[in-house]
Amino acid sequence: MKLLTKSNIYTTITTVLLFAMGIFIVYQVILIRLDNEVDKQLLSTKEKIVKGLQDGISANDFLSNIGQKIYVRKVESQTVFGNQFIEYVEKDPKDPSSDGDITQRELLFQTSVNGDVYEATVCNSLAEGRKIGDYIAVVVLIFLVVSVIILFLLNRLISAFIWSPFYDTLTKIKTWNIKKNEVLNFKDTDIDEFFLLNDTVKDLTRQIQADYHNLKEFTENVSHEAQTPLSIISTKLELLMQEDNYNEKQHKLLVQIYNATQRMHKLNEGLILLTRIENKQFVETSAIELTHAFDEKIEVLEDFIEAKQITIEKQYNKQITKEVNPVLLTILLNNLCINAIKYNLEEGGTIKITVDEDSFSVENTSYIEKINRQFLFDRFNKNSISGSLGLGLSLIKKIVDFYNWQVTYSHKDGSHKFKIYM
Amino acid sequence: MRILIIEDEKSLREDVVDYLTENGYKCDFATTIKSAMQKLSDIVYSCALVDVGLPDGSGIEIVEFIKKNNPEMGVIIVTAKNALEDKLEGLKIGADDYLTKPFHLSELSARVYSVLRRRNFGGKNSLVFDGLEIDTTEKKVIANGTQLQLTKKEYEILVYLASNPTHLITKEALADAIWGDKADMATSFDFVYSQIKNLKKKLNEADLKNYIKVVYGMGYKFKD
Repeated sequence: MKLLTKSNIYTTITTVLLFAMGIFIVYQVILIRLDNEVDKQLLSTKEKIVKGLQDGISANDFLSNIGQKIYVRKVESQTVFGNQFIEYVEKDPKDPSSDGDITQRELLFQTSVNGDVYEATVCNSLAEGRKIGDYIAVVVLIFLVVSVIILFLLNRLISAFIWSPFYDTLTKIKTWNIKKNEVLNFKDTDIDEFFLLNDTVKDLTRQIQADYHNLKEFTENVSHEAQTPLSIISTKLELLMQEDNYNEKQHKLLVQIYNATQRMHKLNEGLILLTRIENKQFVETSAIELTHAFDEKIEVLEDFIEAKQITIEKQYNKQITKEVNPVLLTILLNNLCINAIKYNLEEGGTIKITVDEDSFSVENTSYIEKINRQFLFDRFNKNSISGSLGLGLSLIKKIVDFYNWQVTYSHKDGSHKFKIYM
Repeated sequence: MRILIIEDEKSLREDVVDYLTENGYKCDFATTIKSAMQKLSDIVYSCALVDVGLPDGSGIEIVEFIKKNNPEMGVIIVTAKNALEDKLEGLKIGADDYLTKPFHLSELSARVYSVLRRRNFGGKNSLVFDGLEIDTTEKKVIANGTQLQLTKKEYEILVYLASNPTHLITKEALADAIWGDKADMATSFDFVYSQIKNLKKKLNEADLKNYIKVVYGMGYKFKD
């Protein structure tokens, strides 16, 4: 969920709750005030009645006012002292069939005038007051809904505006590529936090980039600079090995040194190749037909295929010509095929090569179990198989990436399959 | 056979000179284009080994000079990295072969032998040893009077070993020579091993024992 949406939801919920509470309180306060007003009216009528009785007006002569019903009668003795307020509900007299009940508030009191005791009830309908209360509530409610909507929209608008530098920064970080030597430039902002963020990210990326380039340069240099001494060591070792008069121990040491040097040599070559692909040093292209390239590769590797008595199954569904660098394609096919031979069964395995419109795959039977996919294409992930440098699959991945292709690995019924989608 | 080695890197030059001298060639060396031109004007060489990257310019100049003044001479260029342009240019102007650094000395020796053989028009091209004759024109191997039936790879291995007599040929050098970097180390070693085994068997059957000696863990030796 977006930060804006989330904060907006909270603000809206809070606003609605506050408004609802406000309306409830206002409604209640208005009702209480209206009731008080009614009581005041009732009391003032009481005063008028008492005064009227004292002035000698007959009990039957009191007429109801507008909205006020008055009954005055003479009683035997005083049973009620003070004011008694009674509230009751009755059917709307104008429309008795309806459910609309009307709340009535009645003041009952007894007063003695010149020895006579009078009982009077003054009754006021609360309907008007309640109606006014309802009207006010509705108006406030409409006001609430409208203001919540306006607030919501305004909030979104303002937030979107305020947060726009942040999203700009986010997009730029997302598309930032450490390999491209680009400097991040952010939108200007007058918000301190965002300014600080941009500044920090800028510093950070600059630092990372510098480190990355240093490291890259270092590895490149190491590989390149190691070449010459490595060649010297190899050559001198070969010369040293020409001598005949070694004892067994010396001979063994020499073999070990020589093997390690050769391994180092191959490793270095592989690393240099990876670097060269990374640095885009294989740009020249020529049109190469894939099935033809595969046929050629198999011919070159014929000796090894025969030695292991491997059956080659070709399934060329389509002749595909691609505009690629010949060196890179050779390395790619070479690595795929050599792996398929190397890790095949000791005898009588199969390799199935499929070429389709937009993909090609090499599938082979093997003595090794399913490979853990997670680090499959990482450098030096050797799957604990001896004699492997752990660069083969990494090279495949690099080349595939270079052409924006996809490589997938699957394992089924003891067969390993590498499929490349172009 | 006199060979001129034009190489500025002292250590490599010394190794090359030593190795080729041991293989029976007379070697001279030069370290710059200028001194190389001088030597080439004074002496007739059978073959020249030219490093492309020299301190006073490109070795390509020397190749051009040789092809103009002494077209009969064999030329092998050596390029530092996998510099494709150098290689193509060198071959275009008439170099016979090329090697990329680093290379095995045995590989160099085999290349020199191959270039000299190709340059030597008309004459009989064969490597002759006691009871063994390798005819490199006809690609035939005669052992004690009978022709051996060798596979293509067995023949290639035998020629390679025979062009480096008495030297230890490492298994890497042999694998590299036959498949280049096309094949993976471990796989090709096994294959080299089985090929050598067959080859030895065939030589044994023709009563030529001890020609190929296996040096444990290191490689093979062709014994004259």
